[in-house]
Amino acid sequence: MNSRRLQRVVKLLSRLPGVGEKTAMRYALHLITTSEPLAHDLAASLAELQQHLRPCSICQNIAEIAAPNDEPICAICSDNKRDRATLCVVARVHDLLAIERVGAMRGGYFVLGKLLSPLDGIGPDELPIGKLLRRIEDGVTEVIVATPPSVDGEATALLLKRELETYVDKKGLKITRIASGVPHGGDLEFADPITMGRALAGRQAI
Amino acid sequence: MVRLRSISIRNFRNIHAADVELGPRLNVISGGNGQGKTSFIEAVYLLATSKSFRATKPIESIARGADIASVRGRVTEDDLEREQSVGLRRGGRVARIDGKATATLAEYAVTTPAVVFHPAGLALTAGPSAERRRLMDRVALYTDPTSLVALEQYGTALKARQKALVERGATARDAEHWEALMVEYGGRVMASRARAVEKIADVGGRAFKEIATPGLSMNIAYGPSASSVPSEYREALVKHRAADIRRGSASIGPHRDDIDLKMQSVPVRGAASQGEHRALVLALKIAEIEAISEARGVRPMLLLDDVSSELDVERTAALFKYLGTMPGQVYVTTTRPDLIDTKGIGAHRVDFVVRSGVIA
Ligand SMILES: [Zn+2]
Repeated sequence: MNSRRLQRVVKLLSRLPGVGEKTAMRYALHLITTSEPLAHDLAASLAELQQHLRPCSICQNIAEIAAPNDEPICAICSDNKRDRATLCVVARVHDLLAIERVGAMRGGYFVLGKLLSPLDGIGPDELPIGKLLRRIEDGVTEVIVATPPSVDGEATALLLKRELETYVDKKGLKITRIASGVPHGGDLEFADPITMGRALAGRQAI
Repeated sequence: MVRLRSISIRNFRNIHAADVELGPRLNVISGGNGQGKTSFIEAVYLLATSKSFRATKPIESIARGADIASVRGRVTEDDLEREQSVGLRRGGRVARIDGKATATLAEYAVTTPAVVFHPAGLALTAGPSAERRRLMDRVALYTDPTSLVALEQYGTALKARQKALVERGATARDAEHWEALMVEYGGRVMASRARAVEKIADVGGRAFKEIATPGLSMNIAYGPSASSVPSEYREALVKHRAADIRRGSASIGPHRDDIDLKMQSVPVRGAASQGEHRALVLALKIAEIEAISEARGVRPMLLLDDVSSELDVERTAALFKYLGTMPGQVYVTTTRPDLIDTKGIGAHRVDFVVRSGVIA
């Protein structure tokens, strides 16, 4: 294989999660050899993604914007029928989508973007706690902590509980944790809708 | 009982390709040093547990020049037969039962129990505590299958707390949370180890009486490093933070547990003679076999790697006498097959000779 252009595409593709060099090469060769205008369409769509999608300024979910200077507000945050008193805190957008699929959550979300993980250089100061507190001050009465049941997820839940303590004491904020029906040590993403529904319904005060 | 009917080995250490039908009871594998006897028995252990008993990385077991090493075999348990396989490659291993990868390696490991006894294992009673923790955890895997998950979770919390303390000092905001999790997961580890040692203690004590000099008795107890009272354990962690930063790891917790071994009420380390240590090790091995048999409801396969070279004549005789009473498949490697005293289990003896990685 001697094409520098092909090599570059393979390198880029293999940076995607779950894609190794072999798979990347398969994708790249498919893009070249297929008769469809796949490569062109893909390139255009990816460029559009970059242009029109931003993290939501309220919850960090993915938000679509029409013009570059628009404030990104996601579909959930702009939905007036959502219950603004209930806030579900998740680690990643993935987890938000997994919970949304169940359809049992009527409140809003807050995406942390990461979990406490000193081994990856993430301490308490790297988490957007200040932003979360401002959000809670905006009329939230229950926080549902839906970080994954992994060790890092549990530590993050304990940290959130500690950081929110003053709101519990002074404003009667309720903090709950989703029941551990989700696979042990695993991902929320892989939980099936029934398990996830039960985990939400069975949430307990922490 | 569970036994291996046949095994196919590919690119594993110095064995490039071997397909062997095995005897139902006693398999004696002989050959000179470095010919591949231990590799063969290691392949059997790998097939049963997905792990090696040698302290090496999986990658080091792959034959030079090959990408993948694999071991495949037919296992019968009662009247049912299953196919198991373990593949090793750079970046990990795949373990399958009847073609399907198990959800966890622990699930695979408890399916076909195997107990190995090899020369390095003789350091069990006289050497460092890590070997004794491994013994507890091997038994706990059968008595309490979730113990391995708890042990992994504990390890993660332990390392995270250490990193938090090193990076942000003894007042790190998140230290208390990692400590809370260490106490939670560590508590589960301690509980399952305590149950495992209870099983080992009962059988081990009796076995020792039969093997050792008459009148000697062994006392086996779990020696946890941390308090089993959660609040005390947590307070101790907080108290040790500064010291733990200096020493590089937590001073207390399951990673420092031990099994307290006493002979006539005296700790055996430093006190017992070499012969007594051998009797102790043998008694603990028998206890491991019995504890696993009871918990799993099936006799484990027993792999003896060159033990007669390390045990004296008396202990070797005691071991084979015990094997005669234990219905299960046994593998023995030796340089001197003529010296294997197979009274009691010799009826179904099958002999193999290994030369330059070729098994005949
Ligand atoms: Zn939003």
